[in-house]
Amino acid sequence: MKRRVAVTGLGIISPCGNHIDDFSFNLMAGMSGVRRITAAYAGLLSVKVAAEVDFNPLDYFMKKQVSGLDRVNQFAFAAASQAWNDSELSLDAKEKERAGVYIGSAMGGGNTIEYLYDQLFKHYADRVKPLTVPMIMNSASASHISMEYGLSGACLTLSTACASSANAIGEAFRQVRDGYVDVMLAGGAEAFLTYGGFRSWEALRVLAVEDPEDPSKSCKPFSKNRSGLVLGEGAAMVVLEEMERASGRGAPIYAELFGYGSTSDAGHMTRPSLEGQARAMAEALKEAGLLPEEIDYINAHGTATPWNDLLETQAIKKVFGDCACNVPISSTKSMHGHTLGAAGAMEFIVSLLAIKNQAVPPTINLDHPDPECDLDYVPNIGRKGVTVSTVMSNAFAFGGTNAVLIAGKRSCVGGRSRRSRRNPETVDANR
Amino acid sequence: MSTTLERLQKLFIARFTFKTEELAATTTLEYLGLDSLNIIEIMFDIENEFNIRIPDRELREMKVKTIQDMVDALDRFISEQDSKQDAGSSSHH
Repeated sequence: MKRRVAVTGLGIISPCGNHIDDFSFNLMAGMSGVRRITAAYAGLLSVKVAAEVDFNPLDYFMKKQVSGLDRVNQFAFAAASQAWNDSELSLDAKEKERAGVYIGSAMGGGNTIEYLYDQLFKHYADRVKPLTVPMIMNSASASHISMEYGLSGACLTLSTACASSANAIGEAFRQVRDGYVDVMLAGGAEAFLTYGGFRSWEALRVLAVEDPEDPSKSCKPFSKNRSGLVLGEGAAMVVLEEMERASGRGAPIYAELFGYGSTSDAGHMTRPSLEGQARAMAEALKEAGLLPEEIDYINAHGTATPWNDLLETQAIKKVFGDCACNVPISSTKSMHGHTLGAAGAMEFIVSLLAIKNQAVPPTINLDHPDPECDLDYVPNIGRKGVTVSTVMSNAFAFGGTNAVLIAGKRSCVGGRSRRSRRNPETVDANR
Repeated sequence: MSTTLERLQKLFIARFTFKTEELAATTTLEYLGLDSLNIIEIMFDIENEFNIRIPDRELREMKVKTIQDMVDALDRFISEQDSKQDAGSSSHH
């Protein structure tokens, strides 16, 4: 029998705040984390804006630990500790064997790799930092988290570019649902705001042009004058727990994870496909046992590249049909930037917060509607006091990997009956 | 000029934030809670500070339990290197 899966802990390190409450407040207020970067190499770049995290490692770690942790590990670790503490979980030795860690990261220890090459090729160093290998290993973050909390079930790292952490959460969901484990710490981390990182993205010609009046407004998803993505960094982690276990111990339950869709375009490396995205959404809905009209909020992938936003809009229309116009959709990348491997988990948390707060964050910088992007993107101003019981979070990656997560509260919200997920026939039509 | 012990203490403090009084000559590395990776890191600092390179083989042969053991091993290694260098340079003349 398939088991139900609850989300019982959240943790965030982001350009819009390093605490869930700050993050939630800032997004609802439309506060952008995008800035002009201050790095010494900024003057060399054609695009000088990014969404950086304000982070002092010594606030989180002892000096002894820091030298062995790449920035991406530090983010992952810090977000995981928030999620773990938030869940108030305490596991005995046997229970820890039935708890695992799935982390997504697209680029791994990018800062350490860059430092390594700088030392070797620019400064002709005859040797490099002693812990270079464990710092650049893509799986280091997951291992650190596993060690810290003694979680000794499956510990995997998923790298599917910008869908990495959505895939990590989706696969972790299945681990719990199918009974392999009872608890998963899952999410993603990214810290690739390096000179090489900026140069690589610049070369691909997908970065946003800086807004001439206000650099913080450079990312404009779904707007007619959108010009590309703004790079971000950060980490987002959730604790997933078997539902009976969670409710039995009276845990705070943010939502139930209902469904996960995972598809590949099998098409083009960087140009998204309407079909692949639509199938991922449809699969997630099918697994959730929900109809499109039962989704109350979509957190879009919404990168603000011309192609993504157009095709994602078309994919949503294909899946949602006539009700596509009724569902509020936002791209919070307009505020926290594109956090690559952390994006899926970060935006899944945004979606869960919409349920928690009964409020939908805006897509900021949407001043010039694109006639071809004609859905309700919650332009510029967040909406409070709305009924949000079921949410969808989209992550569509380079390489054609698509991951969609659906979560929600199964019980009545706002006096409105929800349809039973086990008996699709008993649809309550008063919606 | 600083002694080998003092130079070592400075390195330990810089990397791991210990206090000087925790770094007595008789203190064991185990007591300081240093694992194998921490030792690799401090060896890196030691090699920089003393401008030496300790080959893996020789490092394995150094039986180091306390900070004093480390001081002795270093002093021995450095004096051996010096005498090798002296021998090397005299043969060229």
